[in-house]
Amino acid sequence: MDTFEILSTYREEFLIGLGVTLRLCGIVWLTGIVFGTVLGVAGGKLQLLIGAPIRVASFILGAVPVLVFLFWLHYPLQTLLGIIVPPFTTATAALAILNSLLVADMIRAVLRDFPQQYLQAARVCGLTSRQTFLRIQLPIVLRQVIPGILLVQVSMLHASMFASLISVDEIFRVAQRINSEVYRPVQIYTALALMYLVVCLPLHGLAYWLRLRYTRDLSER
Amino acid sequence: MLTGEGICKSFRGTTVLDGVSATVAPGEITVAIGPSGSGKSTLLRALSLLDPPDRGTVTVDSVAYPHPRPESEPPIAPPWPKVTVVFQSLFLWPHLTVRENIALPLKNRRDIDAPALIEELIDQYKMGGYVDRYPNEASVGQKQRAAIARAVALRPKYLLLDEVTSALDVEYVAVVLNHLLALKKQGTGILLITHLIGFARRAADRILFLEQGRVVEEGGRDVLASPRTSRLREFVSLVDTAS
Repeated sequence: MDTFEILSTYREEFLIGLGVTLRLCGIVWLTGIVFGTVLGVAGGKLQLLIGAPIRVASFILGAVPVLVFLFWLHYPLQTLLGIIVPPFTTATAALAILNSLLVADMIRAVLRDFPQQYLQAARVCGLTSRQTFLRIQLPIVLRQVIPGILLVQVSMLHASMFASLISVDEIFRVAQRINSEVYRPVQIYTALALMYLVVCLPLHGLAYWLRLRYTRDLSER
Repeated sequence: MLTGEGICKSFRGTTVLDGVSATVAPGEITVAIGPSGSGKSTLLRALSLLDPPDRGTVTVDSVAYPHPRPESEPPIAPPWPKVTVVFQSLFLWPHLTVRENIALPLKNRRDIDAPALIEELIDQYKMGGYVDRYPNEASVGQKQRAAIARAVALRPKYLLLDEVTSALDVEYVAVVLNHLLALKKQGTGILLITHLIGFARRAADRILFLEQGRVVEEGGRDVLASPRTSRLREFVSLVDTAS
């Protein structure tokens, strides 16, 4: 059996696994970007009240491996609280929290370091606060954070594989299960790599296009 | 009339302006001169209300902005772009082309035919070769002209310029200064911080000589020819020698 035969024979299982991975990532991406942006903007405005806790949380979480954080949420925390949460929910929550904090920290940092002089120039030119935010601050901030945010989203997709270790039937776990049945590691993991490529390449392409389109070097000569 | 009375400003315990009073009248050019660190730029920022003074009153026409503002009084809308500023470091928005930098503030001005005015400014300030480039693709001199054009396009009543000719070559200094004279004739009040004593001698209606946060000498342009204080005499002599 070659790679494409494997893919054809087990296409239903692969598609289900891919569906779980994409559903998990979709929720993680959406919540991370939305909550992260809101938190980041709030943290940029209220540095002490919100910005500092975000920084501390992302600093601590950044030092803890994703897998350890996921396992901690899945086992000790649920034992401590005396609850049982479905593994899919636990994995989604772990990655969404991580994604939100990483996105928030990036946006907070860019807002904190935003050159105030551009805002002063907007003020003396008579731009309204809304115009200043939408036409000056937001485009410059987005240009700076887009590449970083997209890289984090790709790394979230990669990290979604860890969900297999707490029994989430995502694509990696499906591949492992098929391999345990037919033992064709070369073909199966090649098929898995192809599927990740299919999902990741457009994301990388999008990141590349956005970088070219919006992240032109703005630095002064 | 744009006036500042008894302007005081300190940064981290260091007094930068100590009771300075200054006037910018419509149709007049006031030139502020003085050694580095004398408080010229701080005065400009205080008069524009970008960095309001710690103490003192800025009055724009009949609207007074006292500092500190009495708590019982409601906040007053800032005077921008009636009073506008061209910064020493220019601060053109880096994600917009030179043309967009000039056009964006004009979106709020229904009284101005923006496309026609922009074309006129491109021609006047000789920006045709780079108007569709981004600021970081233009030379410092080109950016200075663009920043001045952005401010002038707003038809401010008071235009405050902080060392805007510092990176221009002689030809463009003349272009810019001629435009300032034209603006003066149109009734714009101009405050210019510059080391161009020659221009001050030719065009200034009022000279302010600052040192260590105080106005040491002020008067008409004749104060440059016959300074009353030894300090101004020494400063003019040094600048003349250097230029």
